[in-house]
Amino acid sequence: MSETSFSVLGIFDTPNSLMAAIPKLRATKLGTVEAYTPYPIHGIDEALGLRKSPLGGMVLVMGILGALTAFGFEYWISAVDYPIITGGKAAGSWEAFIPIMFEVTVLFATFTAGLGMLLLLNKLPFFGHPVLSAKAITSITRDRYVLALEAESEAFDSQAAVAALQAAGATDIEVLPAPDRSPFLTSDYILRTLGGIFVACLVAGLGIFTLTKWFPLLRPMVNMQDQPRLNSQKPSSFFKDGHGMQRPVAGTVARGHLPTATGKQEEAASLVNPLPRTKEVFEVGRKAYHNRCEVCHGALGNGVGSLTAAYGGKPANLQAQQFRDYPDGKIYWVIVNGKSAMPSHAADLTDAQRWSVVHYVRALQRAQNAKDEDLKVVAP
Amino acid sequence: MSQNPKKSPLLLGAMGLGALGVLGTYVAAGHERFWANWVLWFVLIFTLGLGSLFIVALEHLVSARWSVPVRRIPERLATLLLPAVPVGLIALFALPVLYPGTRPEAAHNHILAGKASWLSIPFFSVRTAIAMVLVLIGLAILVGGSLKQDQTKDPAFNFKARKFAPAYMAIFALVITLIAFDWISGLTPEWYSDIFGVYIFAGAFLSGLAATVLCLLYLQDRDRLGGVKGDHLFNLGGFLFAFTVFWSYIGFAQYMLMWYANMPDEVMYYKVRLAGSWRAITITLALVHFILPFFALVTRAAKKDPKRLRRVAYLMLGAHLLDLYWLIFPVLGARPLFSWPELSFALFFIGGITLWVRGAMEKGEDMPVGDPFLREGLEFRL
Repeated sequence: MSETSFSVLGIFDTPNSLMAAIPKLRATKLGTVEAYTPYPIHGIDEALGLRKSPLGGMVLVMGILGALTAFGFEYWISAVDYPIITGGKAAGSWEAFIPIMFEVTVLFATFTAGLGMLLLLNKLPFFGHPVLSAKAITSITRDRYVLALEAESEAFDSQAAVAALQAAGATDIEVLPAPDRSPFLTSDYILRTLGGIFVACLVAGLGIFTLTKWFPLLRPMVNMQDQPRLNSQKPSSFFKDGHGMQRPVAGTVARGHLPTATGKQEEAASLVNPLPRTKEVFEVGRKAYHNRCEVCHGALGNGVGSLTAAYGGKPANLQAQQFRDYPDGKIYWVIVNGKSAMPSHAADLTDAQRWSVVHYVRALQRAQNAKDEDLKVVAP
Repeated sequence: MSQNPKKSPLLLGAMGLGALGVLGTYVAAGHERFWANWVLWFVLIFTLGLGSLFIVALEHLVSARWSVPVRRIPERLATLLLPAVPVGLIALFALPVLYPGTRPEAAHNHILAGKASWLSIPFFSVRTAIAMVLVLIGLAILVGGSLKQDQTKDPAFNFKARKFAPAYMAIFALVITLIAFDWISGLTPEWYSDIFGVYIFAGAFLSGLAATVLCLLYLQDRDRLGGVKGDHLFNLGGFLFAFTVFWSYIGFAQYMLMWYANMPDEVMYYKVRLAGSWRAITITLALVHFILPFFALVTRAAKKDPKRLRRVAYLMLGAHLLDLYWLIFPVLGARPLFSWPELSFALFFIGGITLWVRGAMEKGEDMPVGDPFLREGLEFRL
């Protein structure tokens, strides 16, 4: 290509003469008509018959793709792969995705606009457009208006192009070679680029390192670190004793652990078991009884547990008439406060577990003292 | 140019029919419903006028040149602020009916008792009156001065308007926030949102732009705006496009923060609007106020296509109306009310607004012929 000329420049003195020449040159159909002017001229787009740029459509498609990508990622993470309920929001709440979807939309759209314009549409990078090395370039950027006829194929007739431009009123003509489109991604350039990036990283890293060494007091963005708050296990000047962590105020009650059965056992007699007699409740009671009570009171509740012989203790026989006549509340009171050698189990069992145990003890008692009509209930 | 507009018997008939329905609403459909409708239309007319006057003031503020040839249209539309005054004064009678902050029970409500002096009828009325006076001063200086310039051709008006515009912008911000907080937010005084004024501003500006586009096309159809080109339309279309996004941005930002924080007093506002039939209206609103106009105007060609712009402008006026309906009507109940009272109000007020705007379109010259920048504006190219 370097032998044949690639484009012919015709230089015009005024924008009006340039505008007048455009239709004449387009009519010759010798090649692509291109204009180089020091400033934008109104109406030149229509005169040159520039096609509508496909960039807008590309940006729209990629923007929508970006939104969908962000939505897909977030939905997959928060609803499929690792669903955690945070802040009481359902897994996959689309409301929280919108800001990130917006950001990714913008990211995809801007990258498409920038790279699509440079690489796809303008076919960059290449080494210098021939117009930039033309003699006319200084006047193009100052006060002259240039029309170029550019080759569309090998059969470009530069003699005819020169004649056409002269006929259209160009005051000067210049013939240019084709742009140098020799390969750009050679190993040499790739190595140089990588080396440049490496040097840049090294310089920046060392610079930051020395800066933070020399100016250790310059801490960036400490607003979150230095907020006035109490940290567990850290000192604090807020309280008199200098601790950040404080003991709960006397009488503090955890949620779901309202204190009941605090008085005497006789007072607890009137308490009513709040739990229904369901399979689930009995199962909770069975587990808790098995873990906490069985070692002493025995699997049947008859006071013969595995520890009884070893310690020589005399745990209550829950099958005894005395305990079968106990109201629920008194059994509950014993679980909470302990009795004789039995310690309190308030710390081991939650309120619901205690009442479940009461139900289970009732079931054990009934199992050992079953009545005839119980058989009917069991029948399916 | 054109002869006086013929008194349109169709419009007058529609208005008469609407007026009958309006009276019927007061008698038969309950006072609450009557006043909710009345407040809706008052806010619509007022925001439409305010949005138009904002376009005028914006041009003076930034010394825009391209918009000089079309400036007379928002100037004429801004005269809607005149009929908005009596409509607004009548709307003050809605205070004891619709606004919980003015009722005696408010004294027993902890939150409302703290705002009692602000929400009380006297101060509320005084605020509205002050807002109206301020806006009318702006109208007199910006629009009155411009109309006078047609005869005097005195460029001193441009200097004066340029100086006054920043002050008017401050007034505008104050007034639109007051309207938003008092008249709309005041319906649910336990709920508040700092951004609410900006949200209403976005709707007001959009409705002003849409009405400007419609009137521009109306005048162009009658060959009364020689020299106004696709480039001018493109700028208006671009504004319309940009502010659909702005409206959605503000609307969604407000929703998302409240949804996240989940505070009972804030989130109730959306709970009501996302339940039952209101949910369908909320989705429709997002559709017609954002998604449809966004994609209708996204290409460059669409922003200067008169046919498409006319459709989008009608759509945006409708969307602004639906937005206000969505803001105001949930106070009447869990089910969206729409029946003959709403239709009568629409007939009456749309008829009235159309008549007024038609009359206003004959005020002064079609372009500000006394403005020294008119020629520069006509030569505007993208």
